[in-house]
Amino acid sequence: MNNFKRRKLVNMLASGVALTCVVLAVVPLIYILIEVVRIGAPAIDWEFLTSRTKGTGEPGEGIGNAILGTLLLVGYASAIGLPIGIFTGIYVSEFGNNRFGETVRFFNDILANFPSIVIGLLAYALVVDYMDVGFSLIAGAFALAIIMIPIVANTTEEALRMVPNSLREGALALGVPRRRAVMRIMLVNAKAGVVTGSLLAVARIAGETAPLILTAFYSNYWSASPFEPIASLPQTIFRNYNSPSEVLLQQAWGAALVLITIVLAINISVRLLMRSRTKKSKAVKKTWLTRLSLRA
Amino acid sequence: MSGIAKREEGTREEGIVMPHKGGRAGLMIFAVLAVAAIIVVAAIATGMLSFGGEKGTVTLSGAGATFPMPLILKWADEYYNETDERVQVNYGGGGSGAGITQIKDKHVDFAGSDAPLSATESSTFGLVHIPETLGAVVVAYNEPSIADLKLDGPTIARIFMKNITVWNDPAIGALNPGVTLPTDSITTVVRSDSSGTTFVFSGYLAKVSTEFDTLYGQGKSVIWPDAIGASGNPGVTQTVKTTAHSIGYIELAYAIENDVPFAQVKNHDGNFVVASLESTSAAAAGVTLPAGDGDWSQVNILDSPGANAYPIASFTYILIYKELYNEESEMNKTAAEELVSFLWWAVHDGQEYADELHYAPLPASVVEINEATLESITYEGATVR
Repeated sequence: MNNFKRRKLVNMLASGVALTCVVLAVVPLIYILIEVVRIGAPAIDWEFLTSRTKGTGEPGEGIGNAILGTLLLVGYASAIGLPIGIFTGIYVSEFGNNRFGETVRFFNDILANFPSIVIGLLAYALVVDYMDVGFSLIAGAFALAIIMIPIVANTTEEALRMVPNSLREGALALGVPRRRAVMRIMLVNAKAGVVTGSLLAVARIAGETAPLILTAFYSNYWSASPFEPIASLPQTIFRNYNSPSEVLLQQAWGAALVLITIVLAINISVRLLMRSRTKKSKAVKKTWLTRLSLRA
Repeated sequence: MSGIAKREEGTREEGIVMPHKGGRAGLMIFAVLAVAAIIVVAAIATGMLSFGGEKGTVTLSGAGATFPMPLILKWADEYYNETDERVQVNYGGGGSGAGITQIKDKHVDFAGSDAPLSATESSTFGLVHIPETLGAVVVAYNEPSIADLKLDGPTIARIFMKNITVWNDPAIGALNPGVTLPTDSITTVVRSDSSGTTFVFSGYLAKVSTEFDTLYGQGKSVIWPDAIGASGNPGVTQTVKTTAHSIGYIELAYAIENDVPFAQVKNHDGNFVVASLESTSAAAAGVTLPAGDGDWSQVNILDSPGANAYPIASFTYILIYKELYNEESEMNKTAAEELVSFLWWAVHDGQEYADELHYAPLPASVVEINEATLESITYEGATVR
């Protein structure tokens, strides 16, 4: 009985510690969200969302060009980074059981943990300086794409590894060409992981500031040309923070709220899309599973 | 526990999709890619049609010192309106050092720097100095019991060297007769990042205190003893505001905008002077300046003479090439003309915006030097203006 009591006590203690840790982990997140909404929300109105930045702290200033800039930077970066990342992941998972694949995996892991400022410096040296493109949207997108690639490649590889080997073997045994087996069976069953990985990468680069300072530079004007400097939300936050103006400081919080909203919106909408798709095919899956188990 | 293993297996199987069903879902990933591609195409289209292709638009880029940034951005905005939205000026900040690197690499059309170039640097690269405004560094403090702190250079140096560690030190007492000083120890707050503000402040301390000069010297970053480091002017401002009994150095504009009290400083003539736009301008009035393409490295308006001159003041410079044409930057003639026009406007009409942003307007003698400098700028050998 005594022993039982002791065990119960230890159990309660352990649960208590675990619960405290959970609270400690969640509190900062909630606190940040509340603070951003509390301070940022009053700054947001239609004019704020549609006017351009000026950096002067006068009325009529907004973040419209920075929103456009962030969307363009993320769009361009995704167009470069997602295909390369996904196909790298496919290669490493499906064809990478050799020395070369190991090497790619190794360097991917290193690249994934690279400080983003170093990647910005690389993009600066390569695109801005050596290729002489100058500070531009495309240079910024290049840097962001490089940050995306290892994230997307790693998650794609993980997702493909989660697919049971029997499926791969089954497809090949039926005489399906390897290319089709990968694209139509492996990749399809791994799609949740692949999409999640891509989203993670998009969310990550949407908030990057350091590599953009050295590549996309900044512009207070409406610009969408790939070869001109462009504004972005994270940089707007940083620049406004550094300004002595109180108005701009508040607008920095407003910009933070908009940035968080954009990232969350992308995240949630694609997740919802994915869920409704999965539900539709559930019935099919069940019968297929029953058939499998019957056969076994 | 076996439950975990089972659940894992469960999710795995849940994810399995029949091959013939999967074709459609597989398309989804490519649909996502396609959407991204469409965004890009649309972006390029908009870029070409509505923005980048706009006829006659000239984009000028600058980078460097963050200290004059609010003023340069204000100029950029006003000048944009002035030119009927034809000339766009981007200023990227990044610090004086970054600005100098980037103009040497010819990625920007002008650089901002708080520190002048050395004589060899400016002649090797063919860069000219255009002082565009004046700034003051103030000694901000958080000691509510002292309403009007008075300090002199050597005392400030000793506080930041930690030779004076308490507020009621006799040296501070002698400068503030009749004030009851608290017994608390002083916390010094300094810039943790490399900065032009530190360059100006340490330059002043080195000028008025030989001990500081030999031990620390002037620099963009100084290894201060036993101080709290904060990043940027906002960082130091906030730290001073929230740390009781602290003292730190910040740009005048940040002290005014954030309602942080700052000390009166004893100047060269022995008067206690409050940092203001007038007293900052007064510091520049008496100095003799070189021509724009001359050697500016010795120019210094710290602790300069004049009854009302604030002692911790400095010029901040715009650097441009004397010959604007070069193969690397591919600057065209129109851009060169617009750059010179913009700077001409900035040192004349632009000065009226200095006041509201807490920058000191240039004295007339400095504007004259700038006029001569801008008139000497050439493009392929021919003067631009």
